[in-house]
Amino acid sequence: MLFSLSWSRSIARAFGRPAALLRRHTGTVVIGTLFIPVHAAVSLWMPRLLGDTLDRLKAGGASDALRHTCWLLLALAVVESASRYVSRKTLIDASRHVEEHLKNDLIAHLQRLPIAWYDRSRTGDVVSRLTQDVELVRFVMGPLLLHGGSTLCLLPAGMWLMMSMDVPVTLASLGVFAVLFVAMRAMLPRLHTWSKKSQEAIAEISQRAQEDFAGIRVVQQFGASRRERAAMATKNRRYLLVNLRLVRLRSILHATSHSTSGVVMLGVLFVGGNQVIAGAITIGQLFQFTGYLALLTFPLEILGWTLATLPRAYAAGIRIAEIFEVAPETTAGAAPPLRGHLRVEKLTFTYPGASRPALENVSFELDPGRTLGLVGPVGSGKSTLLALLMRFYDPPRGTVFVDGHDVLDLAPHSLRQLFALASQEPFLFSDTVAANVGFARDANHADALDAAVVAAALDQDLPQLDEGLSTIVGERGVTLSGGQKQRVALARALLSERPGLLLDDTMSAVDPITERRILSGLGQERRGRTMLIASHRLSVMTAADLILVLENGHVRERGDHRTLLAARGLYASAFRRQSEAAALESRSQEGP
Amino acid sequence: MSDPYLDDAPEGRFQLRFLRQLGPFVRPYWRGFAACLALLFVSFVLEMLGPWLLRHAIDGPMSGGPEGERLGTLAWYGLGFLGTTAGGALLGYVYGLLTAWNGQRVIRDVRRHLFGHLLDLGLSFHEKNPAGKLTTRITSDVENLNELIATGVLQSVFDLLKIGGVVIVLFFLDVELALFTVATTPVVVLLSVLFRRNAQRAYRAVRTRLALQNAYATELIGGVRTTRAFGREAAVAQRYAERNRDTATAWRDTVFHFSVFFSLVDLSLRATTVGLLWFGGSAVIEGTMLPGQFVQFWIYFGLLSGPVRELGEKYNVLQAAFASCERVFQLLDEPRFPPPNPQAVRTARRGAAKVEFDGVGFHYVAGTPVLENVTFTALPGQTIAIVGPTGAGKTTVLSLIARLRDVSSGSVRFDGTDVRELDPYSLRSRIAFVAQDVFLFTGTVLDNVRLFDRKIDEARVWKALETVGAAAFVRQLPQGLSTQVEERGGTFSQGERQLLAFARALVVEPDLLVLDEATASIDSESEARLQYALEASLRGRTALVVAHRLSTVRRADRILVLEKGRIVEAGTHRELMERQGVYAGMVGHVEAGA
Repeated sequence: MLFSLSWSRSIARAFGRPAALLRRHTGTVVIGTLFIPVHAAVSLWMPRLLGDTLDRLKAGGASDALRHTCWLLLALAVVESASRYVSRKTLIDASRHVEEHLKNDLIAHLQRLPIAWYDRSRTGDVVSRLTQDVELVRFVMGPLLLHGGSTLCLLPAGMWLMMSMDVPVTLASLGVFAVLFVAMRAMLPRLHTWSKKSQEAIAEISQRAQEDFAGIRVVQQFGASRRERAAMATKNRRYLLVNLRLVRLRSILHATSHSTSGVVMLGVLFVGGNQVIAGAITIGQLFQFTGYLALLTFPLEILGWTLATLPRAYAAGIRIAEIFEVAPETTAGAAPPLRGHLRVEKLTFTYPGASRPALENVSFELDPGRTLGLVGPVGSGKSTLLALLMRFYDPPRGTVFVDGHDVLDLAPHSLRQLFALASQEPFLFSDTVAANVGFARDANHADALDAAVVAAALDQDLPQLDEGLSTIVGERGVTLSGGQKQRVALARALLSERPGLLLDDTMSAVDPITERRILSGLGQERRGRTMLIASHRLSVMTAADLILVLENGHVRERGDHRTLLAARGLYASAFRRQSEAAALESRSQEGP
Repeated sequence: MSDPYLDDAPEGRFQLRFLRQLGPFVRPYWRGFAACLALLFVSFVLEMLGPWLLRHAIDGPMSGGPEGERLGTLAWYGLGFLGTTAGGALLGYVYGLLTAWNGQRVIRDVRRHLFGHLLDLGLSFHEKNPAGKLTTRITSDVENLNELIATGVLQSVFDLLKIGGVVIVLFFLDVELALFTVATTPVVVLLSVLFRRNAQRAYRAVRTRLALQNAYATELIGGVRTTRAFGREAAVAQRYAERNRDTATAWRDTVFHFSVFFSLVDLSLRATTVGLLWFGGSAVIEGTMLPGQFVQFWIYFGLLSGPVRELGEKYNVLQAAFASCERVFQLLDEPRFPPPNPQAVRTARRGAAKVEFDGVGFHYVAGTPVLENVTFTALPGQTIAIVGPTGAGKTTVLSLIARLRDVSSGSVRFDGTDVRELDPYSLRSRIAFVAQDVFLFTGTVLDNVRLFDRKIDEARVWKALETVGAAAFVRQLPQGLSTQVEERGGTFSQGERQLLAFARALVVEPDLLVLDEATASIDSESEARLQYALEASLRGRTALVVAHRLSTVRRADRILVLEKGRIVEAGTHRELMERQGVYAGMVGHVEAGA
C-alpha cells in the first residue's frame, strides 16, 4: 500500500506536468482515441473476409459474390485509412502541443534559476533535458496512446479470434513469439551498452579532432601531425571494432526475429495444412489465421518497444521535474531609484562548495560618478566582486551596500538596472551584430545604436564584415576576433544606458591604442556615472579615483595611480613592465 | 558561407566524380562488396522460392492426391519452406555483417585520410574554417558516407533489380494479372513519391527549425549571465517560444503529411490488392488458375510493395549522403600546405641553427603587402629581438621560418638551405615555439609538455620542467605530471601556462627557438619565474623573439624595429640608442612613463 502510494507519487512527479498540459486537449484526445477501436475492428475483419472468399473460390463460387466482397473490401480499406488518419493526426498533434508548452515552461523557468545553479550544471546536460528528455516524455503523451491503444484493442481481440479457430496452433505460435520477445528483451541491454560505447568512441574522435584543429598552430609548429594521425588511427580503430560488435548484435537480433516469424509461419502451415488435409479447417481459414498472425506482429513489436521506452521516459520525466523543482532566484526586495553610491564593508565571500574564500575582508567606498580600478592576476577576486554587485550571488548580510541599502534588501533587477556588465569573454548570440549590440532593449533607435558602436570603436571593424551591422556572428555565423567580441559586448553595455558600468577585463584583447581611445571617450561621455574597471592592463588605471590591487582575494594595495606609483609596490613594478611592453609596440610618430 | 545553416541542407545530387574519388577507398575491399552482391542475389532467389513452395503445397497435397502420400509430401514442402526461411535468415545475418565490415572499414579509411589531410592544410585554410565545422566533417559527414557505401547504393540497385525480377516472374505466372500489376504499380509509386516528397520537405523544415531552436536554447543556457545582467529573461523566453512555435507548426505539418501519406499509400495498395482479388478470383472461378497459384501471385505482389515503399526513403538517405560526400571531397580537394615535395631534403639536428631572411616579402592579398624586403641573419646562438607596433608583421615573420606560410617573394634560409627545399617535418622538428596564448590539450600535464610524443620519457620532461623552473609548481599539483588538464587549460593561471609552454619548447631540444613574449602581468612572482624561464631557454640557442620587455631587448644580439612590414632600424641596443631614431624614441618613452 505504502509502496504503491510512493510509486504513484513518483509517476505523478515524472508525468504530472506534461499530463496537465495534455488535459488542455482533452476533446481532441478523446476523438482520436475513439477511432482506435474502429481501426482495429476493420483490420481484424479483413483477413476473415479474404479467407471466406478463398474458400468460396476453391469451392467454385459465383462471381456476383466476389464482386460484392471486392466492394466491401474497398469500403473497409477506406474506413481503415480514414480512422488511422484521424487517430494519428489528433493524438500526435496533441503530443506536439504538450512538447511545445513543456519546452516553453522549461525555458522560462531556466531563465529564472540562480546563477549558482548554472555553475553546478553542465550546458550539455541541461540542453539534453530540454531536448531529448522532453521528446521521451512526449512519447508517452502521444505515440504511446496511439500505438498502445491500438495494441490493447488488437492483441486481445486478435488472440480471441485465433483461439476461436484453433487453440493449440494459436498457443504454439504465441509461444514462439513469446520466446522471441524474451530473447529480444535479454539482448536489448547489451545492444544499449554497445551503442553507448560506440557513441563514446565517436565522441572521443570528435573531441580530439576539435582540439587538433583549434590548436592547429601548435600541432604544425611542432611537426606533431604525424603523431596526431597515429593517435587518431588508434581511436578510429577502436570505434571500428565497437561498431562491428554492435552490428553483429543487431544482425543476430534481426536474424532471430526473421527466422522466428518464419518458424511460426511454418508451424502454422504445417499444422494447419494437416488439418486442412484432415478436413478440420479450410484453406481459407488457414489463410485467415496467417492474416491475424501478421496483424499481431506489429502490436507485439510495439509492446516490446514500449516496455523498453517507458522506463527511459520515466527517468526523463524525473530529470525534467528536477529542474522544475529548483527554486528560482528571488525577485523580492525594494526597487528604489539608485544613484550608485557603493560601500563594501569587510566583505568575505566564498563560492558555494568552495573551500577557500574568493574575497577576504575587502572594504572600500565609492561615490556616484567615480571610477574604481580593480587590478590583480587571474583568480584574485576581481570578477567575483563585480558578480556580487550584479547580485549573481548573495554576499553575506551587512557587507555590500548600494545607496545605503544592503544589496540583499534590493530586488536583483534593480541592481541590474543600475549596472551594465561587459566581461572579458563575452557571450554573443548567433544573431546580427546590431541585435547583439541592442540586446538590452526592446527597440533601438538607430542613432543610439550608431553612437554606441562608435563609442566602443566597433565602427572600425564594420568594413571588414560582409554585411556590416547585419552580419550574423557567433556559433552559426562569422567568427569575430576576441577583441571584436569584447567591443560588441562593450557597445551592448553602453546602449543599455545603465547609470553604472562594470568592465570585467573587457578590453584584454583590444589593442592598447584603441583601448585608450575608447576609455577617454567614455570618460568624456560618461562623466558623472559610476564605473568599475577590472583590468590586467594598468595603463587604463591612470584616471581611476581609487585602485584596489587584489591578490588571492585580499586587497594588497590601495590608492590612486599616483600614490600607488609612489609606494613602489606591486602596482608600481607591474606598471613599469607594462609601459616597457607598450613602448616596444608603439609607432614611431608616437615617440616623444 | 553566408548561409549559417549550410550544414543542415541535406539535398545533394549524385555526381560522377564521387565514384572516381571514392574508388581508391572502396577498391581494397572489392571482394567484400562483390560477396555482398552475390548474397543479395541468393537471398532474392530464396525469397522467391518460399511462395513457390507454398503454392505447390496448396495445389498439391492440401488439395488432393493419394491419401497416404499427402502428409509425407506436405512434410517435404514444409522442410523446403523451413530451408528457405532459415537460409534467408542466415544470409541476412552474413549480409549484415559483411556490409558493416566493408562500410566501416571504408569510412575508417576515409576518416583517417581526411583527418591527416586536414592536419596538413595551411594556416590560411584553418583561419577560414572553424574547428567545429571541420570536426563535423570528420564525424557526421564521414558517418553519412557509410549509408552510401555500406547499404545505400548496393541495396538501392538491388531493390530496383528486385522490382524488375518480381515483375518478370509475375508475367511467367499469369500474363493478365501481371499486366494489371504493371498498370497499377506506377500509380502507387507515383503517389508514394509525391507524398514522400512533401513529407520530406516538411520534415526538412522541422530539422532546420529544430536545429535553430536547439541552438538558441544552448545559447540561452550558455549566455544566462548576459541575459540576467540586462534583465532580458522574459524577452528571450518569448523569442524561444516563437522558435518553438515554428518547430511545432512544422512538426504538425509532418504529422499531416505522414498521416496522409501512410493512409493514401496503404489505401492504394489495398485497392490494388482488391483489384487483384477481383481479377485473380475471376480467373480461379473460370478455372484458368489454381488457388495455390493465386496465393503465390498474391505473395509475390506483396514482395513488390516493400521495395516500392522503400525506394523513396532510400533516395532521401542517399541525398543526405551525397551532400556529405560532396563536403568531404571538397576538403580533400584543398591543396596541402606545404605542398608535397618528393625532392625535399631532410635536415638533421646539429646544434644552434642559422636563419637568414633574404629580401622577404609577404602578402595575403596582392597589392597590400604585410612584409616588404625583410632581410636579416640570425647566426647560430644569436638572439634576435623584433619590436614594433601591432600589425607591423612581427608574427608573420615568425610563421615564415617553420613554413607555416610561404614567402611571396625573396627567401628564408635555414642553415643555408631555402626552407621550401626542406622536408617540413624535419624542419619543424628542429624549431620550437612559445606563443603568447598557450594552447593546452585535454590530457595530462605530461602529455601537454611532450605533446603526446611517447618517445619522450618522463625523465626528459622533468629535466625540461627543471630547466625552466616549472618543476616546483608541477610537483605541487595533486597528481604531478599525471594531473589532467581541464578543457582549454582552465586549471592553470596565465603564468603557469606560459611556463608549461617553455617546457614544451625545451623538451624537444630545438636548434631554434621562436618566441612571442607574453605581455607582463600584475603578478610579480610569476613575472620573475618567466624571466628565469626565458633566460634558461635562450642559453646556447638561436632565437627569434617578439619582445615585450626591455630586459629581453637589451640582451638581444640584434634588434629589428618593424613598422608596416619593413625593417626601419636594426642593430644592438647600444647602436640603436646612439642613433637616436625610432628605437631610442621607444625606450625614451619607457623612461618618461615610469
